[in-house]
Amino acid sequence: MARQRIERLFELAGQEFDGHPDRSNRYVQLARQIGMRHNVRIPKELKRRMCRHCHSYLVPGSNAQVRLRGMYVVVTCLICERQMRYPY
Amino acid sequence: MDITPNNLIYHELIGLFAEVIASTNPSLVGIKGKVVDETRNMLVIEDKKIPKACSTFMFSLPNNRVKVDGMLLVSRPEDRMKRRL
Repeated sequence: MARQRIERLFELAGQEFDGHPDRSNRYVQLARQIGMRHNVRIPKELKRRMCRHCHSYLVPGSNAQVRLRGMYVVVTCLICERQMRYPY
Repeated sequence: MDITPNNLIYHELIGLFAEVIASTNPSLVGIKGKVVDETRNMLVIEDKKIPKACSTFMFSLPNNRVKVDGMLLVSRPEDRMKRRL
């Protein structure tokens, strides 16, 4: 059930992002807390939608910059301006 | 497994449609809307913060409606799953 709640929260975060970005970030925070409390990982594909450093909900083109750099996809969070690198 | 009347109190309340049907504070009765946020003691329904402990809520699920005593919901959202009645 923890897994379902995490997925549901990310779904809602996506829906609320247009009107209320602060709610999106709150939902990511709640999803993380559920994961930590019940020892459930946030699924890989959802992890890419949040900032590893400041835990805000990221939407490429809006508050995240995605660039290919050699062996990595580099995602820059435009809120805290730190980078995440994902190999491909 | 979806949200059912049996597992509602362990599941995610944010995003559901809720109505306050009873409360010790009469001015809160009748407030309805989407649940936007949740804290340990409060449920935020469309900008209005409702204390859980003194209210009774009616949640609308896709197929049915569930009446829940707010006292059962008092705990942090991430702790609610573990609680047994």
